[in-house]
Amino acid sequence: MKTIIEMNNICKSYQVGEEELKVLKNVSITVNEGEFVAILGPSGSGKSTLMNIIGCMDVMNSGEYFLEGTVVHKAKESQLGKIRNKQIGFIFQRYQLIKRYTVLQNVMLPLLARGQSRFQAKKACIEKIKSVGLDERIYHKPSELSGGQQQRVAIARAIVSEPSILLADEPTGALDSNTGKEVLEIFKSLSNQGNTIIMITHDLKVAEHAHRIIRIVDGCVATE
Amino acid sequence: MKISEIWYLVMVNVTQNKFKVLLTSLGIIVGAATIVMVIAIGVGGQMDVADQFKNLNAGTIEIESTSSSTSSMMSARGPGAATISTASSSTRAVLSNDDIEEMMFFIDGIEEAVLLATTSQSVFGGDLDESTTASIVGTSEEYAHIVNLNMAIGEFITQDMETAVETTVVLGSSLATTIFGSASAAYGNIVAIDDRAYTVVGVLSSVNSLVNGVNVDNAAYVPYTTADKYLLSSTTYPEIIAVAADFNDVSTIIAKMNVLLTEIHPTGTFTISDAGSEMEAALSSANTLSVLLISVATIVFIVGGIGIMNVLFVSVKERTQEIGVLKALGTSKIDILLQFLFEANLISIIGGVIGVALSYALMPLMEYTGIRAEPTASAAVMALLFAVGTGTIFGFYPAYQAASLRPIEALNND
Repeated sequence: MKTIIEMNNICKSYQVGEEELKVLKNVSITVNEGEFVAILGPSGSGKSTLMNIIGCMDVMNSGEYFLEGTVVHKAKESQLGKIRNKQIGFIFQRYQLIKRYTVLQNVMLPLLARGQSRFQAKKACIEKIKSVGLDERIYHKPSELSGGQQQRVAIARAIVSEPSILLADEPTGALDSNTGKEVLEIFKSLSNQGNTIIMITHDLKVAEHAHRIIRIVDGCVATE
Repeated sequence: MKISEIWYLVMVNVTQNKFKVLLTSLGIIVGAATIVMVIAIGVGGQMDVADQFKNLNAGTIEIESTSSSTSSMMSARGPGAATISTASSSTRAVLSNDDIEEMMFFIDGIEEAVLLATTSQSVFGGDLDESTTASIVGTSEEYAHIVNLNMAIGEFITQDMETAVETTVVLGSSLATTIFGSASAAYGNIVAIDDRAYTVVGVLSSVNSLVNGVNVDNAAYVPYTTADKYLLSSTTYPEIIAVAADFNDVSTIIAKMNVLLTEIHPTGTFTISDAGSEMEAALSSANTLSVLLISVATIVFIVGGIGIMNVLFVSVKERTQEIGVLKALGTSKIDILLQFLFEANLISIIGGVIGVALSYALMPLMEYTGIRAEPTASAAVMALLFAVGTGTIFGFYPAYQAASLRPIEALNND
């Protein structure tokens, strides 16, 4: 099976005053194509930092990171932006939709950032919005949608650019249990369609929906 | 991102925040309106000056007898030493045709010269129910040529009328209309000036300006000899209006006139001024006023620009998470910079257009202030360019700040 993510000995630390706070200590993980992986860990374990590095939103101090053959650990900020646009689909805990834009405009953003016109992007966006069951809400604003619906818009936005990985940060954290289950069902369905999904969570019940769980404790991979 | 799509997102942002955009652009609205208005006032001022002097030949020289001062004095006003006064006692000399003859004989380069005396008298006749007061000007045939007066009907004062001391009159266009209803009705009719009957031999074309301190359209012109005999009081002092054959000789002629008049009237005081220098001085004042007003408008623009910058800084702060999302989705730094910069530009353009429209709406109200304002297309274009320039300059730093945010920090901003 093709390896999508290969991370070797990733270290990340922050300077807090005069003290160096080591958040990730020689973390090495591998994710294969089509896998649904949960990164599980308690608050302060370093899972969010790991997610930021996987998502190319933060840089590591040392180690190697290959994303579908791309050498991420040597990439510059402008290159990281392109990697995020083409290879990563983000799903945030609080959806992070832009309030002024409609569902369609929000979903279009990754394709517009890629250089497509809205006329070119429209067909693919409507298709993805339909795939998450929001075809009646295309021209609605986020404020007119429920939390679960907003998270489905965020999923549509993440998958519209057909990225190498879907990176979900506590995707059910802001939802009630029933809505959370619906979102997880969408993830399973996406996984069954061959999408590679990495989900960050502190909740074991949520993590159990994944094919594989990577536990992070005190900045280290505890078990796989 | 395609430029068209950046503009599309900017348009969505702006249309969703119409009131905020309007408030932000207030400074630019005021700046653009100010710049159009001040340029209009400046142009109006210049046109006023031009109108004031349009009937005067640049080579025209005006000599007045004055009663001021008891010692010799020379003064220069405006470029080219326009005015020279000279005096040796307090007695006021009376200028006459003899002075003109002496000047024409001794001073080369004077093309024409006439006496001009102005008084104010009651006028009655035609459709008037009661007498009205008008400026009465006593002068000679050549005056119409010197100050470029044209006839609507009839003829101007002639040498024969002056020689025969005829009671004839040439009316200004407004005065003719006031008394008789029209120029043609006035022509050949009789009008009473100071209770004496005068035949209207001509009506002047409308001039709509002051010439030698007289509102031509509301004045009546009579032969100088007639005015001297019937209308001028002992306190009316005539002046001489001369015109130089060559504009370049004006200052030499003035100097010679000064010497000659001092010889003829050793006790008199004269003020000699030329229209060209007065014109230059007046235009220079109008230009100075324009520069001053444009400076004020520029300051207004700077204040407006700072307003835009402040609102954009707040906007960047408010939209930090949104910028984080855009960055997470892979929007490039330059695209975010352009998005904020275009937003500043659009706010400025909206402000500029509203400001220019507002200035055109306010322009008619200027009539009530008595200030002449002449709107010009170039002022409107300049105001719009200033507006866009202000938006670009003051919008750049907040836009740069937004574009430089790190995605992770922007996303985690509460």
